[in-house]
Amino acid sequence: MSSEKASALVLRTIDFSETSLVVWLFTREFGKISALAKGARRLKNPFESALDVLTLCRIVFLHKSSEALDLVTEAKLLRRFRPTRQNLAGLYAGYYVAELLGDLTDENDPHPELFDLADETLAALAAGEVVPRRLARFELIALRFLGHAPALDQCAECGMKIDLTGRIAFGGIHGGALCRGCRQGKSSVVSVSAGVLRTMAQLADLETQAWRRIEIDAQILGELRKQEAKNNREILPQRLG
Amino acid sequence: MSEVTRSVTELINEFAKMPGVGKKSAERLAYYVLRLNRTEALVLADAIRNVKENVRYCRNCYNLAEQEECEICRDPNRNREVICVVEQPRDLMALEQAGTYHGLYHVLLGRIAPLEGMGPEQLTIDTLVNRVRSGTVREIVMATNPTVEGDGTSLYISNVLSDCAVRVTRLARGITTGSMLEFANKEVLADALSGRQAF
Ligand SMILES: [Zn+2]
Ligand SMILES: [Zn+2]
Repeated sequence: MSSEKASALVLRTIDFSETSLVVWLFTREFGKISALAKGARRLKNPFESALDVLTLCRIVFLHKSSEALDLVTEAKLLRRFRPTRQNLAGLYAGYYVAELLGDLTDENDPHPELFDLADETLAALAAGEVVPRRLARFELIALRFLGHAPALDQCAECGMKIDLTGRIAFGGIHGGALCRGCRQGKSSVVSVSAGVLRTMAQLADLETQAWRRIEIDAQILGELRKQEAKNNREILPQRLG
Repeated sequence: MSEVTRSVTELINEFAKMPGVGKKSAERLAYYVLRLNRTEALVLADAIRNVKENVRYCRNCYNLAEQEECEICRDPNRNREVICVVEQPRDLMALEQAGTYHGLYHVLLGRIAPLEGMGPEQLTIDTLVNRVRSGTVREIVMATNPTVEGDGTSLYISNVLSDCAVRVTRLARGITTGSMLEFANKEVLADALSGRQAF
């Protein structure tokens, strides 16, 4: 058992007893951890109410090597998630980011680049940035960091370049876009418009800031959201199985 | 632990389920009950039974009540134009102990927490909206906990009530009375500044 320091995003908190909380944290240094925070529900506590959902904090914790819960001993609040007034969409998007981090990552499996992305995304959502674009970008880049980036301009199976016109076969479970030859005989393949794949590629771009100027039109947004929901549904069972 | 009878073990186990009661305290409580005379012990048993058989939620505000309506809703001296919205009956009790509020209440019986599967439909928000629509309410005071989920619940409710002719306010927050400004964290100071009021 060793004492460690980490930057952490609070994913969930559960009342454990009259005075204590169990918290699920996504840390930059150690990945997801679950930890007990003794006395966190008391008025005077060593955590300065930093252990609230979606807050960013610096923590000191005892890392247990066994199955036992880690123990948070200190927490310093760095940023509370405070949506700008009346911005309920931003808040729900924040909850969704926490849910994805919880579902897509494993305990003690650090992804510092994903942590930074989540941190930036939560700050932007709280500041009132347009939700669908931010959220779509978060999902796509998170999948890439975790090794599940969908192929968007070449066939996921044979690597052949795909002509981005008309409608294109896409199977999240098969790794993304598929050429005519490779789609044959595969189940769970849908057809999406070329515009959706182009938008996905722009949104996931880490090199330039062009994604900030994307105006997602309603039809593409609808397809995109459907596609992402399907992606997550298909990737999750693979991970869990 | 040495041999005790089954009844004593059961009693210890029941006490040990209570919040803040560990195995040792549970044993102490059980031996206390054993030492009581029969009448004293049955008063305790009856108190538990009465609470389960007689206590229910108030049909207006979901406070704990022994009749259809709670004591606060039945009190003719309360101001019926103001409703203070809280998460749990224990929050209501805390506000009552402060002794400065004389309006009515509405207990949500929880807060919106999508990550725990708690949506608005699991709370008593519908009833609150009906009270506002059908009554003489002029002000709703949001007093959910000052957490992300508590604030989110208040925000949701204020959106739902936005088309009603009612003023929605929330509890002030900020610097603790008797503390020092220089030691307050920046979030607390930001709250205090944005919630400043005229002298
Ligand atoms: Zn192919
Ligand atoms: Zn009542």
